Amino acid sequence: MDFNKIPVMDRQSLRDLKKGIDQNFKEFSREYGDGIESFFDPLLSFLIWLEKLLVGAPWPIVIFAFGFLAWVGSRSYKLALGTVLSFLVIGYFGMWKNCMATVAIISVATLVCIAVGIPIGILMSKSNRAEKAILPILDMMQTIPSFVYLIPIIMLLGIGKVPGLLAVCVYALPPIVRLTNLGIREVDKETLEASEAFGATTMQKLRTVQIPLSLPTIFAGVNQTIMMALAMVVIASMIGVKGLGIPILQAISNQYLASGLMNGLAIVALAIIFDRVTQQYGQRIQKHRGQKK
Amino acid sequence: MKIIKKILISALFVLGFNSYNVSANAECGDITIANMNWASANFMAEVDKVILEEGFGCNVELVPGATMPTFTSMQEKGEPDVAPEFWANAAIVELEAAVKEGRLHSINKAPITGLGEGWWVLPHTLAKHPELTSADEILKRPDLFPHPEDPSKGGFHICPPGWNCELSNRNHFRAWEMEAKGWAIVETGSAAGLDGSIAKAAERGENWFGYYWSPTSLVGKYNLQAVDMGEYAGKDNWDNCLSKPEQECANPKKSSWVKSEVFTVVSDNYKNTAGKAGMNYFKKRTYPGDVMNGMLVYMAEQQADGADAAVEFLVRYPEVWSKWVPKSTADKIRKGIGL
Repeated sequence: MDFNKIPVMDRQSLRDLKKGIDQNFKEFSREYGDGIESFFDPLLSFLIWLEKLLVGAPWPIVIFAFGFLAWVGSRSYKLALGTVLSFLVIGYFGMWKNCMATVAIISVATLVCIAVGIPIGILMSKSNRAEKAILPILDMMQTIPSFVYLIPIIMLLGIGKVPGLLAVCVYALPPIVRLTNLGIREVDKETLEASEAFGATTMQKLRTVQIPLSLPTIFAGVNQTIMMALAMVVIASMIGVKGLGIPILQAISNQYLASGLMNGLAIVALAIIFDRVTQQYGQRIQKHRGQKK
Repeated sequence: MKIIKKILISALFVLGFNSYNVSANAECGDITIANMNWASANFMAEVDKVILEEGFGCNVELVPGATMPTFTSMQEKGEPDVAPEFWANAAIVELEAAVKEGRLHSINKAPITGLGEGWWVLPHTLAKHPELTSADEILKRPDLFPHPEDPSKGGFHICPPGWNCELSNRNHFRAWEMEAKGWAIVETGSAAGLDGSIAKAAERGENWFGYYWSPTSLVGKYNLQAVDMGEYAGKDNWDNCLSKPEQECANPKKSSWVKSEVFTVVSDNYKNTAGKAGMNYFKKRTYPGDVMNGMLVYMAEQQADGADAAVEFLVRYPEVWSKWVPKSTADKIRKGIGL
């Protein structure tokens, strides 16, 4: 045995293996591509509807709605005012349309992640075996370079909003799953025992004890998911999602310093608003719990 | 003592000088070739390397490159010696100046035939709809090319954001009044997105319409068909409108794509070291477009690099490359690659 050279599959078989995988995937895409595409059609029309709504509605109403939502979430006039001001500045610098497209895809991505992530997190907290099986998948989702799965997604679904949304979700889903799992597992054992003593069923325990008590942690997960989704805006634009990522890509390949900086800062502004509002909301839930005790 | 020293030095000098001359004439010497960062240029550089080494006895080194950095280095330092596939539109003024001063020579003005940019469609679309003979005819049928986000409109795939062709495609969109004809732009986002959209449409038998260029493996693999865009509407329309940002181009006129100037550029040093024979090689070295696209498909499908593809080309197409060199040189190359 030669210890200076690692045993390597011979070139031809390796090539055949790679070609075989590619070929199989192509056949799969030809066979099922249309079906999978139409499965996502409702999501696509919802995305298009939301974007059209945000872009088409009169801007004072949209900005007021954002300010109001910020106030509802945080109960802080400062934050609501800051939100209104940032959106006014974004609009003034001509980034309104792109910003709305980004807000639309980020909101839908967050909703999808919550709808998919929380049940998975609950499943993981209930079963150690499920946790062991899912954790490595979450690790993979967070570390695998995005274009590795973007190419097959493009072959299946084409370019545009839906593949972009999937790309964002692959990256942004893990925090909410992890933190839901963690939150439920960290619920006080004695509280659980008390509810069991009252004869609560598993569903009742989950609904009335575990989820309410773990809400602050789950909210930290939602917050992280939004942050991750915003970090993926530029990558999503690389497969044809409209939004702030497009001018950033233009700026990168042409060294447009100012344009890149402006659109980048718009993403930062969105991130700060989303982050502060969800964090404040999470803290309010916690305060509430503190009073109860 | 002094005299002996002088004689020794001058003898050394003469000897050194002579031996330098001898090696330069008989063997052509050291040549550097720019190995650009895209497949066709990589392949051409590897073919040039084999032919210059085996046929002309040069000592060739490939240096990695990209259009502008390589050109700047050639212009300022005369290194690398050869840029096999130089897309000159990017630096046409500077190149002309350098050629005039004799520092560079654009020796071959068409190293690949049938190359260029423009609008393309898939062959199965034309087979089903033979009436789509020109861009005007295609633009009448947006219903055949539904936009992924709004199927009531036609989808026109443009360049990824930030590429020069993105600007010209957006201006073309206005020049051909495509919005009024029921078309909308599809953002492709990146080269991978653009390629992926073509591959997906071709594999599924869907129609596709948009911007692409040749020589590329995709054009060869899916046999993309160039769309006839009609007359070229003049340099002024192209340079001062179509290739500018939208706000600087108020009245774009529809036009075919500007001709891509692709040259093989060599340094003055190459002219001196490789001599007339080496210059003649580059003058005659023209790849037919379909052969080039075929080699790019080979590279993509076999996941082969330029060096593998160069050998494959020399084996597969002797009738193409043997025209580029004198017969005795061709025999040397055949022997060198073991044919």
